Amino acid sequence: MKRNSILAAASVFALISGGAMAQETLKIGALVTMSGAGASWGNGMKRAAEMAAEDVNETGGLDVGGTKYMVEVIAYDDSYKANEAVTAANRLVFEDKVKYIIGTVGSAPILAIQPITEENGVITMTLGFTAQALTADKPYTFRPNPTTAEVAQPQIDWIVKTQGVKTVGALFPKDETGEAIAKDLAGAYEKAGATLAATEFFERDRVDFIPLLTRIIAQGVDAIELDGNSPVTAGQIVQQARDLGFEGVILRTGGPATQEIVNVAGEAATEGMFVHSAFDPGVESAKAYEDRYVATYNEPMNGFSPFFYDGTKMLFQAMQDAGTVEDTEAVKAALEGISDYGGILGTMNWTGEDRYGIAHQLDSPFYIARVTGGQEEIVARCTSAGCE
Amino acid sequence: MSFLIAQSLINGVILGTLYLLMAIGFTLAFGVMRIVNFAHGEFYMVGAFCALIGVTWLGLPFPVTLALTIAVAILLGALVERVVFRPFRNDELSGMIASLGLAMILQHGALILFGPDPQAFPALVSGVFKWGALIVPKSRALALGVGIVILLIFYIFLMHTRHGRALRAIVQDQEVAAVFGVRLEIMYPLGLGLGVALAAVAGGLMAPLFGVSPFIGATPLLKAFIVVILGGLGSIPGAALAAILLGLIESFTSSFVSASAADIVTFALVIVVLLVRPAGLLGRAEA
Repeated sequence: MKRNSILAAASVFALISGGAMAQETLKIGALVTMSGAGASWGNGMKRAAEMAAEDVNETGGLDVGGTKYMVEVIAYDDSYKANEAVTAANRLVFEDKVKYIIGTVGSAPILAIQPITEENGVITMTLGFTAQALTADKPYTFRPNPTTAEVAQPQIDWIVKTQGVKTVGALFPKDETGEAIAKDLAGAYEKAGATLAATEFFERDRVDFIPLLTRIIAQGVDAIELDGNSPVTAGQIVQQARDLGFEGVILRTGGPATQEIVNVAGEAATEGMFVHSAFDPGVESAKAYEDRYVATYNEPMNGFSPFFYDGTKMLFQAMQDAGTVEDTEAVKAALEGISDYGGILGTMNWTGEDRYGIAHQLDSPFYIARVTGGQEEIVARCTSAGCE
Repeated sequence: MSFLIAQSLINGVILGTLYLLMAIGFTLAFGVMRIVNFAHGEFYMVGAFCALIGVTWLGLPFPVTLALTIAVAILLGALVERVVFRPFRNDELSGMIASLGLAMILQHGALILFGPDPQAFPALVSGVFKWGALIVPKSRALALGVGIVILLIFYIFLMHTRHGRALRAIVQDQEVAAVFGVRLEIMYPLGLGLGVALAAVAGGLMAPLFGVSPFIGATPLLKAFIVVILGGLGSIPGAALAAILLGLIESFTSSFVSASAADIVTFALVIVVLLVRPAGLLGRAEA
């Protein structure tokens, strides 16, 4: 009798507390750049993870195999530096005991932390553009955002064809990201029938580009390519190129950064610039995300943010599909198994088997936009097959 | 080719003048207080934010904003001298470490207040001056012009006023200056205040060119450091020579070789100068 009343009391209690499940905490790391030139990307990623966490926490937690998990995001700053990323990764993996990391922003940082994360079966979602981030022997790394390798060719084909561009000049940061993008772009322009005629490499903290631009402009290029540069740096390059009287085409074939570029360079200098855009404000869910972002953080949204919101959500779904948060091998397999995911930007699928040897690259629609009055105006819609 | 040479020359002189504004304040603070002020770059950042607030938030005209920036910086510098540096007056190492701490406080304070994202600074002027193929952006010409005027005013103050003479006396020998009636408790805050104000005004002038964010102080500090080491710690003519030299070297090597080569040449020069003339180009050897 006594036993029965205890049982009854327990079930009543369970009903009030919203389910007979124990509530636990699921810690997710956000190892991103929160200071320095890449901070707008890093904050966009961290906030994406936070908003995804907020979504599941509002419904009482993430339901995995009958247990409700409240999601907590633990964020560390890597300042876009490999050594600081390693310190933070060690803290996340060995002290905070996280199994999932949103990050890193940079290429060098992701390559630096992979020995730790892969070894310990920690799933990472990186922004890093380097091709080496995704390889068959690094099965725990995923990339939710398209990189230059995915988006450059169709966009460059379109620009070369419609704008009559023959020679292009570009400045790249002197590191893994810059080198990788320079190589991709040179190939893409050649394939499109133009040449990347003048390239310059510089240290990432540089702010004065006048001498380099003087040299590039003196070679008579038709266009200046901004891909590979952080939003702030790209803005400075635009402003200083226009200051030097450059009147040709300015374009950015990868890396959403239009808002920041306009902020730095001003509306006049950016008028007519062609940019890659992953974001169509015409898509309702995308617009709603942007509005929520701006309302929550009171800052313009960085274009990479939606990818990491979708990426984090997919990770949650994978945990639910696998029925575990501990066994990352099962979660990884479940994540790989997700197809036609209805993300806020559109339908997402894993790709990259041919290019990287592992299908851990998310494929999504993208656009070419022309900047008018400081705002993006979509002029062409693209898939990896081409733009029109 | 001759176009590229002339253009590089112009770019270099503009760059050199900007470095000079930074370096003179740095060297003055060192000369007066014997403290290597690592927070100098952060005052550049503070100046840039002052200009941003004045121009975009309060809608003040740029000259007024610049004057206010200078006033704020002098007061801030004097306050910092009183609160942070005075206890370390005869303790160079601790003073240096305090300045590092101050730099972090200022940078992260700005980060908390303004966030990490770059702030939009409206262009003051647009367009270029053209002579044949030669181009000088009007925005840089403006910064150069204002910079030179400020340097001239500072020069006249230093050479031809009572306080200026007192400052120079302290730079030469503090004890003798004190014996001759120079009031150190006034001149120390004034010296640091003026040094800081020069950094802030450089920040205000550069804000329309290079943008404003909490992290913009590091590069100017490094340049000021190089200039001051090249020219000789505490030597103002040395700083002038070294700043123009550095501007020209950067401009020419960047335009003719590559950006990385510019850094290599700059630091190679620093090493050579330190080996051959440890006190810098125009520095006095320590007695």
